[in-house]
Amino acid sequence: MCSGNMAAGVLSGVRQVLRGPRLLSAVFSCHGQTFSSAAAAVKSAPDTAVTEKILNFPLTQPDYFHLSELFTMKDLFEARVHLGHKKGCRHRLMEPYLFGSRLDTDIIDLEQTAELLQQALNFTAHVAYRGGIILFVSRRRQFGHLIETTSRECGEYAHTRYWKGGLLTNAPIQYSPGVRLPDLIIFFSTLNNVFQQHVGIRDAAKMNIPTVGIVDSNCNPSLIAYPVPGNDDTPVAMEMYCRLFKMTINRAKDKRRQMELLKGISASV
Amino acid sequence: MASLCKVMRNVSSRSSLLQKHCVCITHRSLYSSDASGGDDKSPERAKGGFAAAYELHSDLQQRGDQSAARRMSSRDETSFASLLRHSALMQMGPAKEKVVIGKIFHIVNDDLYIDFGGKFHCVCKRPPTDGQKYQRGSRVRLRLEDMELTSRFLGATIDTTLLEADATLMGLIESKDTKTKE
Repeated sequence: MCSGNMAAGVLSGVRQVLRGPRLLSAVFSCHGQTFSSAAAAVKSAPDTAVTEKILNFPLTQPDYFHLSELFTMKDLFEARVHLGHKKGCRHRLMEPYLFGSRLDTDIIDLEQTAELLQQALNFTAHVAYRGGIILFVSRRRQFGHLIETTSRECGEYAHTRYWKGGLLTNAPIQYSPGVRLPDLIIFFSTLNNVFQQHVGIRDAAKMNIPTVGIVDSNCNPSLIAYPVPGNDDTPVAMEMYCRLFKMTINRAKDKRRQMELLKGISASV
Repeated sequence: MASLCKVMRNVSSRSSLLQKHCVCITHRSLYSSDASGGDDKSPERAKGGFAAAYELHSDLQQRGDQSAARRMSSRDETSFASLLRHSALMQMGPAKEKVVIGKIFHIVNDDLYIDFGGKFHCVCKRPPTDGQKYQRGSRVRLRLEDMELTSRFLGATIDTTLLEADATLMGLIESKDTKTKE
């Protein structure tokens, strides 16, 4: 479990990075208002306080978006999330997440999966609430279309094609100098088509981008911030993951819109 | 018959299970206290006729709801171990020579991609007899050989997997609709 502690250390740094630009942008917008008129200077102080409250209050609650009602362990079981590969395909670092093996087939422990999935969905919801860019990545051709439609339905981004080398690490040169990188990358399958670890996992860790990943029994969970042990080969399981992530992101974004509306109403009053 | 499965429990999962069991026990004590409170109140009212019958039936309904709620909560809190133990995969045993029912979910010319409830699908050739009856959504009978086609090649550290199961197609499942049509 040392990888979990390391991930927590990385994440606290990342969370501060995430918080910083949001507050800065809020402060800059308030400064823009004060430049326009002197009367607006009086309103700027409560504005920043309300914005800070909107951003910081959800972080104090353990399950602010009520994501535990989105799935039960029975749903995971019926979506065949507990089925792993054969014993010979097992990755050594996945052994803590396995319940056991039945006639050479590994069975993933759904008790752990349910907790880790809850944490991953909660993190995704908080990132979406704070207006972060989320990138869905998978190199499984069977589910590429499903993931692309899911990302379109929740207003986020997907990359299910060949991953060019410097996509994250060389972005200012390959795209344009001011390009904004994703704030969260969700891997629906952490392997590429030749059963090696996806390059995006290593690159996201290099660029301090947190990752959520569905790790099967033949995957390496070490560099992923929120690994979710589960089946990534069956269409039923993939549809369930897509549905869960889409619902969390939509829920978080709707909540943010609601809070902004309330802030607008209270400010006008 | 000796069980063929090797189940290795993790110490970490055991501690989390214990916490959940404590939560279950406190929930059950809350439910039982509510039920006993209801039982103490009902004998005090001695009414006759329709009122008594109505109260009796509403008490029975409440008790039924509570026991159903208890059953539902116990079903929700059913552990993964018991779900797995009673699943079809465990009941089946070794996959060799087992007959299962599958459903065709994709067709590419003569290749039928059939999903039978396992981790992977299997791919079978369209049989020469009744070939056109095999369409997307048809249910077929399969004889399983292997749940996942894997093999360790020389010089490799892990198995190479084909991401497919191996099964022989036995025939269509004749539903009542097709029988009455014929």
